[in-house]
Amino acid sequence: MITFFKLVFFGLVGLSIIYLSLSVYSASLRRERLEKDYDADPVPGQSRDDYVETGMAAYRTSLRPKLLVLVYVVPVAIWGGIVYVINTN
Amino acid sequence: MRILAFLLRLMPILAVGVVLHYVLPQHDIVRIVNTYQERQDLNDWTRIFWSDPSPQSATLVNRDVQFIQAVRKETFLLGFIPRDTTEVMVYRNEDTGWGWPFYFKFDTASLQTEADDLRSTPESPKWAVVTHYGWRNGYLSAFPNAIAIRPVSSPDETIIPWFNIAFFVIVIFLIGMVRAMWFQFRERMIDPAMDAAGDRLDIAQANMDARRSKMRRWFDSWKPKDRR
Repeated sequence: MITFFKLVFFGLVGLSIIYLSLSVYSASLRRERLEKDYDADPVPGQSRDDYVETGMAAYRTSLRPKLLVLVYVVPVAIWGGIVYVINTN
Repeated sequence: MRILAFLLRLMPILAVGVVLHYVLPQHDIVRIVNTYQERQDLNDWTRIFWSDPSPQSATLVNRDVQFIQAVRKETFLLGFIPRDTTEVMVYRNEDTGWGWPFYFKFDTASLQTEADDLRSTPESPKWAVVTHYGWRNGYLSAFPNAIAIRPVSSPDETIIPWFNIAFFVIVIFLIGMVRAMWFQFRERMIDPAMDAAGDRLDIAQANMDARRSKMRRWFDSWKPKDRR
């Protein structure tokens, strides 16, 4: 049982590191695109910072950050699948 | 020096390769000859070639282990490269539990029963595919651990190593992902910080130059005109 809790604990720590770095990466990609969009075609009456911040607020409520929860779901599903396949005849 | 640098760079790749060769599932086409159970001493460093099915087994000095004796017909390097053999192979049959390597195997007793069921003679052979990990080494008494056995109709069965294909695809994807994340991090965080630091350094240097030239002019004013 100790080994099981060790696996769960270190698994969760590892997945959380992946989840956090992916969130930062994904947000960084969106911010870069917003900045480039503004530089290519500046919106009249809106500063660059305002444009980027509005875009980032929309990003935060969009579907993509929520999809990152799959970082937890997929490995756990694969884990369950492996346990099932290995232990059935 | 060049050779030394090359060897130093080769070593981590080799180490990872050796670990993967030990841990990833491989397949053999075999005929099961017999199964047996034997008490094993576990109190020296060759302990690493045996499993820890449960935390209490880690402290045991010896323990009964089940074995499967087989004649190997064909073997596959990581499931990709087939080689013909006619050697014998003995597999150990141990739980891996929740620990390393992560096979989550708990069905040792069932596997032993399946192996018993598949026993056959050279005259009327029954062929089976054994999935296993680990190495056989007679000098160290190391045995590969059998993970699964399934009967096949002929010894020339084609085996597709689905797990290893998926594993290497995922590893390559993850390496690409980490690379992309690192480049993004460098472009967005490190480069601007370095630029800012570089700018500050440039300004500091320009200030220093200006000050020095002022000082130089003052010094020069003390020198005779032809030595300025």
